[in-house]
Amino acid sequence: MRLRAWAWLALSSLPASAAAGATRPRYGGALAIELSTPWTSLDPADLHSAISTGVAETLVRINERGEAEPLLATAWRTNGRRWTFTLRPKVVFHDGEPLTAATAAPALLAALKKTHADVTVQAGGQTLVVTSDQVIPDLMLELAAPRAAIYRKSDANPLIGTGPFRVAAWEPGKRLSLAAFDDYWGGRPYLDSVNISFGYGRVRADVFDIPPGPNRRILPEGTETWSSAPQRLVALVGAGAPAPLMQALALAIDRAPIVNVLAQRRGEPAFALLPQWLSGYAFLFQTPPDIARAKQLVAQLRPGPLMLSYPADDPFLRSVAERIALNARDAGATVQPLGTPNGNLSLAEWPLESNDAPAELSRMAALMGLSDRAAALEASKPDSLYQAERELLDGHRVIPIIYLPDTYAIAPRVHLAVKNGRLRLPLEDLWVEP
Amino acid sequence: MSFRTKVFLSITATVVLAVWLVAAVVSALVTRSFERQDAQRTAALVVEFRREFDRRGAEVARRIEAVAASDAVQRMAVNLGGAQTDTAQYYSLAQALAMEQSLDFLELVGPDGAIISSAEWPARFGYKEDWLPQLVDWKTQGVFLKQEDLANGSALGLIAVRTLKAGDGSLYVGGGQRLDKEFLDTLPVAEGMRVQLYSSFAADAHPESLGSKLATDLVKDVQQQPRELTRADSAATITAIPFTGRDQKLLAILLVENSRAELANLKRYIQGTAAAVGVAGVLIGLMLSFWTASRVTRPIRSLASSVREVAEGRWDTRAAVASSDEVGQLARDFNRMTEQLVEQRDRMIQAERVAAWRELARRLAHELKNPLFPLQITVENLQRAREASPEQFDEVFRESTSTLLAELDNLKTIIGRFSDFAKMPAPHLESVDLNQVAREVVKLFDAQMQAPGRAPVQTELLLAEDVTTIPADPEQIRRALRNLVLNALDAMPQGGALTIRTARIIGKVSLEVSDTGQGLTPEECERLFTPYYTTKQHGTGLGLAIVQSVVSDHKGTITVQSEPGKGSTFRIELKA
Repeated sequence: MRLRAWAWLALSSLPASAAAGATRPRYGGALAIELSTPWTSLDPADLHSAISTGVAETLVRINERGEAEPLLATAWRTNGRRWTFTLRPKVVFHDGEPLTAATAAPALLAALKKTHADVTVQAGGQTLVVTSDQVIPDLMLELAAPRAAIYRKSDANPLIGTGPFRVAAWEPGKRLSLAAFDDYWGGRPYLDSVNISFGYGRVRADVFDIPPGPNRRILPEGTETWSSAPQRLVALVGAGAPAPLMQALALAIDRAPIVNVLAQRRGEPAFALLPQWLSGYAFLFQTPPDIARAKQLVAQLRPGPLMLSYPADDPFLRSVAERIALNARDAGATVQPLGTPNGNLSLAEWPLESNDAPAELSRMAALMGLSDRAAALEASKPDSLYQAERELLDGHRVIPIIYLPDTYAIAPRVHLAVKNGRLRLPLEDLWVEP
Repeated sequence: MSFRTKVFLSITATVVLAVWLVAAVVSALVTRSFERQDAQRTAALVVEFRREFDRRGAEVARRIEAVAASDAVQRMAVNLGGAQTDTAQYYSLAQALAMEQSLDFLELVGPDGAIISSAEWPARFGYKEDWLPQLVDWKTQGVFLKQEDLANGSALGLIAVRTLKAGDGSLYVGGGQRLDKEFLDTLPVAEGMRVQLYSSFAADAHPESLGSKLATDLVKDVQQQPRELTRADSAATITAIPFTGRDQKLLAILLVENSRAELANLKRYIQGTAAAVGVAGVLIGLMLSFWTASRVTRPIRSLASSVREVAEGRWDTRAAVASSDEVGQLARDFNRMTEQLVEQRDRMIQAERVAAWRELARRLAHELKNPLFPLQITVENLQRAREASPEQFDEVFRESTSTLLAELDNLKTIIGRFSDFAKMPAPHLESVDLNQVAREVVKLFDAQMQAPGRAPVQTELLLAEDVTTIPADPEQIRRALRNLVLNALDAMPQGGALTIRTARIIGKVSLEVSDTGQGLTPEECERLFTPYYTTKQHGTGLGLAIVQSVVSDHKGTITVQSEPGKGSTFRIELKA
């Protein structure tokens, strides 16, 4: 029930489909993608991109309504602690190896072991049995996350999946070439190939990402944009700064100009750790700036100059840091933005890795060094999630600033076969005009 | 101080004074020339600064005009004046335009004074620039200096503002370029000059950081009362020119510094050269003084040596005549003088000899005449007694022969005295107790002084205890003292007081014999020690001459003090 509510919230925040799909989809053609952030690993657990390569697939996927749909698993049943999945028949890996419970079990066990130590996976023919001593209410969400994808590796191929595209060439950090997998169980994808390059200006791209902030690249006429749901939290982390000072900064920071001007409205003001679409209660944390109160706190503290670190290669975070410094100056505090680490303060960007709110909150608590605060989370009780997040924020170790989506520019010749908004941009649903 | 030293000092002083004077005059002229040159260079640089300032200002105004006329800004003004009032899209416009126009500062400010886009401080969008809406027509304002706030402090900017119509309000385009070191680097700064622009508002602006006390004091004074000032010390000359903003607030001070190192080096060179010339002058003076002194003082020293020889009695000494100048003339005159002196001395000696012989003859005649007369009478009495009364002849003969013998003895005594004077031997020095000699001599004359029928003479001995022994011939000293005592007794036929006093003075002893007799006239005193001169009826005139001879042979001196009626005092000084 709650899963569906989050999914609807997510869908309501998504923009409309980038491509109208004015014509009938066609097969063939190559798609060129250019991404500013290089990929150094194809491991699904390490990839935090809204672009879904379609190389490796999960057992299930979450649809727009927040419901689990069959993917590699065609059926499942559970009694709370024991889950039995029936694998789709006639599915083969890109190297021709058939998908069986035995070939799927190692990848599944490795993914689940990261969050559930007591989980076991048993393989029998086309049946996978997942057993745990504890009830795992959000197992389906976990199994739908990219990190739970079923894949294998070889010396020649870093990622051998069962998806519509196979890895044709891979140069970490430079380029990735994908080719259509003709033996895909769901049918051949529209595109013949996809070439993903990293860094700007090397090829004339059909799809490229738009970093947050003002456009630094002139978009060709007719270019559409596609934004994911807010995926990344930009937060101010106090590395040793006193809590009252962090409180003063939280009161001094005006998030609206950051969202409206610096992010050019591609983002949401963040007052909570989890975005509204994921938690459903983020609006409860919303507080307006109170510069007078911030001044009082700073006057009481009389702090020395603070160094605010930001990633030197990220112009958006730099502009955010400079705005925060300006807000802090209004409150009487001296904050010096610094493009090097080791500041008293730092701007961190935490991407969401799944749609699993408790899991994401736990992960953020771990990033804050407060894993114990989220230990008592009960996924089935939204109240406990809210309380846990409230406790995490009341410590004034982190000040959420803005939630950012992943935004891509899509050339006019590129179309989405499926018109509905998505949490991810699936390459298998794209087709191109000649 | 020798003549050579005087010549040396004179030449040295002249050379050093001349060199110092020349060095001082040259230094003063050089200093004045440098100061004039510094002033000209400073004036030229200031002119160039103002020219560059104006040129940059015109350039800034042109570029701001270009920004205001750009499509993007024109479109922005139209949009802001219309229904679209969202300014977020213009966030980075100022940066792009500033880069395009090479402007360091550029802000696009809305009608309400809120920054829409800022190139120099992008994060400052939304903040107010209230000073912009205060003026309607910014074009008439021209270019001005302004303190621009930046994220990490402030900077001095050459600013121009233009306005665009945006509906009912205005869109302000304000920007410019930094007035900083890069600007100063474009100025043609000559070697030895330095130009600084001191921004008085900067957080880290401290006059003390300017590197010299001169600059620090200058900046402080200009800050107190903005005006152009020039000051100098030994290291540099600095001119400070204040620059103010629109509100006449002091924003910056241009410091044009002319190093005086070159002047100092030149002065050092002049002083060094002067010192070297001075030293050379001293050396030359030294050589000149030796040469001059040897040329000039050799005949003078020769002359001086001749004078000393003359003073020592060698009157026949002659000075060498080596030149025909004044010194040669002096030597010739000296020689003529010594010749005349010798001639006069010879004449005097001859005259004195004649006088002495006359005196001797007179004295001998006088001395011998007295005994000869009784002898003649006695012989004549004998002749008469032989002829007139032979019976009484024997008696007369006895009496006459005794008289004759007595007178002959008298003659013998007189001749003995003369003989003694002629025989004065050289003194045989021994250790003599002068006090003891005085006591012995007084004792010798005791009987004579106390003889019946003679007026009494009181004797007083005032002998100093510290007068011990002296090297002297005891017999001659005793003889001299006897003569003085005898002379004193002869001077007091009516009685009186005889005082003998000894005393020790530095390196010498003195012996005084004083009487209270009739005394002597100055003329008598002058001739007192001349042999055969006497004031007494029966003196030989040899007593005091003998005393003087003894004293002279002992390298001593004898003097007399006397006044008629007040007695006389003879004082002998001998080496101790």
